[in-house]
Amino acid sequence: MKSQQALNILLGIYIFIFFAYLFGPLVIMSITAFNSAEFPSVTPWECFSFRWFNEGKIAYDGQHLAGLATDWRLHEGLITSLKIGLGVVLLAVPIGLAAALVLTQVHSRFRTAFYSISIMPVLFPGVIIGISTVVLWDRIATMGGGGLATQLGRNGIFLTILAQTCFISTYCFLIFVARLQRFDQTQEEAALDLGANQTQVFFKILIPYMMPAIASSCVIAFLASFENYNTTVFSILSDQTLTTVIASKVRLGISPAISSLALVIILITLVVTILYEVLRRREDKKKKEFEAEALFAQTSGSRLRKAEKNGLKMPKSIFSILFVVVVCIFGFNKMVEKGLYGSTCIAATEKQKKSNFADQLKLLQKNAEKANQISSENGDAGEKKEFDSIFGDPNLFKDFGGFDSKAQEQD
Amino acid sequence: MNYFFNKNGPLISTYLIISIGFWLVFLIIIPQLYMFDLSFRPNIPSLLRGGPDDVYTLTHYKHFLFGSETSGESYNYVDVGVFKDTLLIAVLITFINLCFCYPIAFYIAKVASANTARLLIVSLIIPFWINELLRSFALRILFAGEGFINNVLIKLGLIDNGINFIAMDVALYTGLNYAYILLMIFPLYNAMDTLDKNQLEAAEDLGSSMLKTHFRIVIPHAKAGIASGCTMVFMLTAGALATPVVLSSPNTFWFTQLIYQWFNMNDNWPRGAAYSVMLLSVSVVFVLLMMKIFKVKIGEIVR
Repeated sequence: MKSQQALNILLGIYIFIFFAYLFGPLVIMSITAFNSAEFPSVTPWECFSFRWFNEGKIAYDGQHLAGLATDWRLHEGLITSLKIGLGVVLLAVPIGLAAALVLTQVHSRFRTAFYSISIMPVLFPGVIIGISTVVLWDRIATMGGGGLATQLGRNGIFLTILAQTCFISTYCFLIFVARLQRFDQTQEEAALDLGANQTQVFFKILIPYMMPAIASSCVIAFLASFENYNTTVFSILSDQTLTTVIASKVRLGISPAISSLALVIILITLVVTILYEVLRRREDKKKKEFEAEALFAQTSGSRLRKAEKNGLKMPKSIFSILFVVVVCIFGFNKMVEKGLYGSTCIAATEKQKKSNFADQLKLLQKNAEKANQISSENGDAGEKKEFDSIFGDPNLFKDFGGFDSKAQEQD
Repeated sequence: MNYFFNKNGPLISTYLIISIGFWLVFLIIIPQLYMFDLSFRPNIPSLLRGGPDDVYTLTHYKHFLFGSETSGESYNYVDVGVFKDTLLIAVLITFINLCFCYPIAFYIAKVASANTARLLIVSLIIPFWINELLRSFALRILFAGEGFINNVLIKLGLIDNGINFIAMDVALYTGLNYAYILLMIFPLYNAMDTLDKNQLEAAEDLGSSMLKTHFRIVIPHAKAGIASGCTMVFMLTAGALATPVVLSSPNTFWFTQLIYQWFNMNDNWPRGAAYSVMLLSVSVVFVLLMMKIFKVKIGEIVR
């Protein structure tokens, strides 16, 4: 038994590590969104600020780093993404529903073939779906000769909707298939016997039954469309969606504005997930109560009914939420006390950086003069060793701007 | 066919036929066929398509194997190398993901209580909903030259100068591993969830060691889930573009980046199409291989 315990402890540690791996990067990224430094980092902590959510900053070297609220590209991309997401939901959900319905009706001989073709798009690499859509529509646009086909074929939003619909329909299809498997066909038959026609059966029986699946496939279709990059980057042509804007930003050099964007998305996701979970639990509870009630009605007078517990019930989660709030307030207070928040702190670091920068410039000039002197004294044009030592000074460019050194190399 | 119309009524039948026809023919089959066709065509301006110059040719596939005609190399070691590396690393990452996720999936499915399992699953879903680019960006912050890991290591005195994780491709491989790890857990979990706990207890009572129980009972039972998870992770890793864009070092290419280059920078669409066809065929071969090895149907792989 002891070895079993040891094993469980090991498993617990493993699970802890796993979740730390899963969440650690996201947490650190979220923290960097509040650091006022130009480079998203935690350890050289400058000031606590919301600048990356608001206006961003203009660095002392003239580089403009837009914040979340002032970045028009991001806003345009967001609007395009929303449009595309809406289009994809409108197309993919009906298609998925139709395919799932047909799957229940096709002859069993064709069923496997039909199913295989329907799920193929999920197995295609995303880039390939984007590419194939673009090449096809480019051809159609050329043949269209300036008409509607040409306009559509050169419209990035339209192409992206088509390309994403191709594989997102499969997601919807799978959700609908799962729901349809539990559908009681006798309901349909009963309605038909009672004189309803097929269209009425479809709208009065099938659609209400499928409603939960329709809702969840709408959400999943929208999310899948919203966060897609691999397909979109090819099919969007000259337009920009949120993801392509993020990608181009990341490639140009990383800024904490992206961290703040990520934090916003993480928070939205969290809220939606918690809401969904709460609703689901409530429904579960209702169902359970209903079942207990039914059981009680069947066996009235037995001891099955539980004594009603009256009194204030507090969900345990409230304590954890309270705890987080208290920690946040406490931490924030400490930060204000230490002068790590507010305009004064930012001004101070800014000043220090500027003077650092000025010092470095001075040092550089001085070194250059010295080198000049030496070379003129020796009559030797540029003693290589001296120059090496100038640029070899590791502290020289350390605080300059704060680019990601990698990003510079990449460009 | 008549039966179909009778069963659904005219309105619904039209809806079903139109939407499925549109999807299968217009969105899935024709684009792929056209791309396949295009990959055998020369790179000419789109106005000349269908003209006398538009003949079938194998140049693009030749270019992939042997490089441009002017180069003296015996084969195109750059492109073939990238292709080979991409596939090998995708296989490796798939395998690592499998080993990494197996205990977690087993824990959630069989060891944890119902409430804990539910909580763990919900918390697994949360990072999955966040954009792949942003998740890669989070790793970029960790691994950057002046990033979190380097700073911590320097502060601890373990190293003197920052390690360039991005140039060493550590960042890229971690990112790829990180990006698709959940697509491995869910199929595994679904497969293990249906396993009867009594079987495990019976095995224990009969004196089977834990390893043996896993190899003889759990793994055969979860075979479909393993096949499914491996296929999804391999496909997504080999076809990943977002993670390599953010995390790959300047001198490492992922095969999709090569395709991207032919398309968007060098404006050679037929060649890009040819490279895409190659990626697609490898993917198809991998799926078939998985189906063969694990003896599962395609329907069991995608769920």
